[in-house]
Amino acid sequence: MEQKEIQTLVRSVLAEARGFDGYIIVRAQSRREWSMRLSNGRFERVSTGWDSGLGVQAFTPSGASGLATSDVLVGGVGQRLVEKAIRLARRNEALGTKPNRQIWEVPQVQAEGVNPAQKFFGEIPLVELEERVMSLHSRLRERFPEGVWQTSYRQVEEEWCIGRTDGTLVSFVVPRAVLMHQGTVRDQGRAQSALIHRSGMDATVLLEESGDHSLERKAMDRAEFARAVCAAPHLPSGHYPLIIDYGLAKGLAHEAFGHAVESDHMKESVLGEEGKLRKGLRVARSGISIVDGPLVGDWAYQPYSANGLLRQTVTIVRDGILEAGLGDIFSAEEAGMPVVGAGRAESYRHIPLPRMSNIRLLVERLIPLTPAEHLLDEVKVVRDTLLQHGELVEGVKNLLLLGYRGGQVNPKTGDFVFQCDGIIDVADPDLPIYQPSIFSGKILSALEAIRAGLGEGHYDAIGTCGKGGQSVPSSGGSHRYLLMDADQHVSLGGEHG
Amino acid sequence: MKLVTQLEDLLYQSQQAPKKEDLRLSAWRILIHESEAVSLGIKDNSPGDVYTPPSYRQGESGEVFLIWADGTCSQALVQLPSHCDPEYWHKELEQWRQAAYEDPDAAHIPAPEPLPLVAVEDPAIQKVIGGDDEIIFDQIKRWLTDKPAQAKMQGSIQAAWGYRHLRTSTGLAVTYQQSQFMSWFSFDSLVGGGFAKRRLIRPQEQEDLWSLTVKRYEEMQKEAQPVGPQTQVIFAPSMTEELLGQFILPNFSGERVIEGQAAFSKENFREQRLVFHPQFSLSVDPLCPLELGSYLVTSEGVPAERTVLVNDGQLQTPFLRVKDAVRWGAKPTALPQGTAGLFLKHQAEVPWSEALQGVEDGVLVLSVLGLHTQEAVSGAYSLSAPHSLRILKGRIVGRTDVKLTGNFLADLLASTTKTAHSDLSTHPYLLVTTGVQNL
Repeated sequence: MEQKEIQTLVRSVLAEARGFDGYIIVRAQSRREWSMRLSNGRFERVSTGWDSGLGVQAFTPSGASGLATSDVLVGGVGQRLVEKAIRLARRNEALGTKPNRQIWEVPQVQAEGVNPAQKFFGEIPLVELEERVMSLHSRLRERFPEGVWQTSYRQVEEEWCIGRTDGTLVSFVVPRAVLMHQGTVRDQGRAQSALIHRSGMDATVLLEESGDHSLERKAMDRAEFARAVCAAPHLPSGHYPLIIDYGLAKGLAHEAFGHAVESDHMKESVLGEEGKLRKGLRVARSGISIVDGPLVGDWAYQPYSANGLLRQTVTIVRDGILEAGLGDIFSAEEAGMPVVGAGRAESYRHIPLPRMSNIRLLVERLIPLTPAEHLLDEVKVVRDTLLQHGELVEGVKNLLLLGYRGGQVNPKTGDFVFQCDGIIDVADPDLPIYQPSIFSGKILSALEAIRAGLGEGHYDAIGTCGKGGQSVPSSGGSHRYLLMDADQHVSLGGEHG
Repeated sequence: MKLVTQLEDLLYQSQQAPKKEDLRLSAWRILIHESEAVSLGIKDNSPGDVYTPPSYRQGESGEVFLIWADGTCSQALVQLPSHCDPEYWHKELEQWRQAAYEDPDAAHIPAPEPLPLVAVEDPAIQKVIGGDDEIIFDQIKRWLTDKPAQAKMQGSIQAAWGYRHLRTSTGLAVTYQQSQFMSWFSFDSLVGGGFAKRRLIRPQEQEDLWSLTVKRYEEMQKEAQPVGPQTQVIFAPSMTEELLGQFILPNFSGERVIEGQAAFSKENFREQRLVFHPQFSLSVDPLCPLELGSYLVTSEGVPAERTVLVNDGQLQTPFLRVKDAVRWGAKPTALPQGTAGLFLKHQAEVPWSEALQGVEDGVLVLSVLGLHTQEAVSGAYSLSAPHSLRILKGRIVGRTDVKLTGNFLADLLASTTKTAHSDLSTHPYLLVTTGVQNL
């Protein structure tokens, strides 16, 4: 469906609810996707598809809510969904739910976002995209034949329209594209895999990669590193001075900190007290900041919330002090934070939840780093730079953690874990490589341990964030590397020390 | 007109009398799900909270797989069009043609075969969807009344019911009803219980699940002494399921084995290499009545049957979709639905109550952080498990925080690994000797 069509649909559904004395939010979404996967020189799958649907969230005058959704957009569907949502809201009222009338407090918004894509969806025909992806995949296989390679490319365009009883009508387009190489390498009977990606808004990602082959170089470097990891020894578990790359730093900011300041988590968050954000709490050294907000062209870009509010950029931590949280309309006030339009939903089928977009961990104390073309060359530059600035901690291993495989946090207890692709001891001139092991600890201790940033900012570490059964794109980053002191509450797993 | 009917007409016409010759199909398959679902949740002790309100969902969508006259293939997701454009499906067909790619191994549509009789629908769930949904609202109220006084509870109940339509150009035309019922709850986001089958939960099952979870929550309130290097690790059934999902499913995927992206090679299967202890077997069984992993026919039109993946510790076959089966030179196998339908059995399995009595020094792991980040091919894990339960002399004595280091594939090969049966899960407790340290 085109943007105008979606707007018309939303207006017509709102009109169906005109006689209702409560409040209605209508969400309509239309999504197009092209995707392809190649394995060992052959197409495994090429898929096209679209999905459109409608969600109606109804609130009784007292603030009890109900939701009804459908992807069967035939005549009368709007009226049926409105009736169903109202009936469920009334049942909910009878159940004794905790009422929430915050939606009545938000200002009316009228906005029509411009599609920020450089290439509109379909501008480059699918056949040409297939040729380009096959060419990139084949080239990588030729250059690194020891690996088993899978390449995938996916481009998505989501059109959203959110309408509300107060006359709000917000529509916007979110374009996304990602090219990924996954390699499996083996050495001494052991296997490791490496996953690397390049993301953006549209097929420009492929055009750029065809020009500079930067993803290919990274993929080969990562595969080479993974092969070295296969035969590498385990580290004794313990507490070490660490250098983490920006993918892991994004993980730290996202998993260990961003989730803990989402307004719906405040009753169970280690950063909450009696349900309110612990504003003013020192959580890091001065000079450390955490910022969240959408960036145009980014994987997790979304200009408006799924409740129809402008998405704001928030400084969560400023100069080491907890300053603000990620508040959506429904829980921000109760959590003691402003509404910043943080509500995101996977689709029209889902209730929006407070979520991050692009989260950045920034350090004032910056040590410049001369970029190197290849990974292991860069590791040598990291060692030289640290030596030159007196930043290598003597007499112990200084461990560089490379690659972010994901993580998890329990916001209630503040426990977090992250996994990396492998570890290098940069205190040793031979730069020995170790098997990956779990990087875990308490979130406040981890943030407190950050002492400097190494290199310029990189904010394109992407992922998919799962919460409440919904998945949305997430992204973020930091300086090229972050330096962290050894801390008793932050450890690397591995074998017994 | 129903989506499946519109597509059948379109694809039949494109096979028999296409509008353009390059749109001629040689074969096709349609899979459509028509479903309705209702759900209700609890957040922070509040029923039907603004984030978990009573919800209704209706859907009718699916996918088509096409083989064109020139042997190329296309795949597309499909949905009912939102407007009446008589040319709509023809335009879609043109676009699907553009997306055609060469994959000779995939260009096969199996001929119809007799389907097994498997119960996959509970009529009681259809009534819930039809409006008789008190069971959901009542259960939520009861949970909140019965929960431990100090606990902050989260939870959700969802019932779904609908039709599954499968049509192929080789003559398969199946439509059947299927249902799902899923419920879960947790206390303080630390201890929880869950149920997921194709039928409603029975009162006794609900009571047993509730009692066990409350008991574990109470046990969690006491601090217990730290673990030692000899402490035995016991994975709870939900953990066993997660470990199977992370380390076993990817390594038994036919596609990954063929492509060299799994822990085992095709040669390993041919020589029936011993990879688990001889007392272990692993199978995919979609024929168990009303289990979540049960079905009548795969999405590719292959009738459900039981497939043994590992017998007496020896590799038998990976699970094979139609395309993988062509490349493997075998018949397609049963397919697990996630970890549902996957069964790990040990010949000396005992009831959990009996196994627990035999544990002198152990730790029961209910959940871990970061399992999804672990390397599936190697089987290695390095995990943090805060809020585990300490076992001493056959009794759970309190809470302890541990981290675990080991290799799941090695765990299944070890003679020291045993299983214990759970009445509340199709997955067993797993008793292993692995690296364990205090967190």
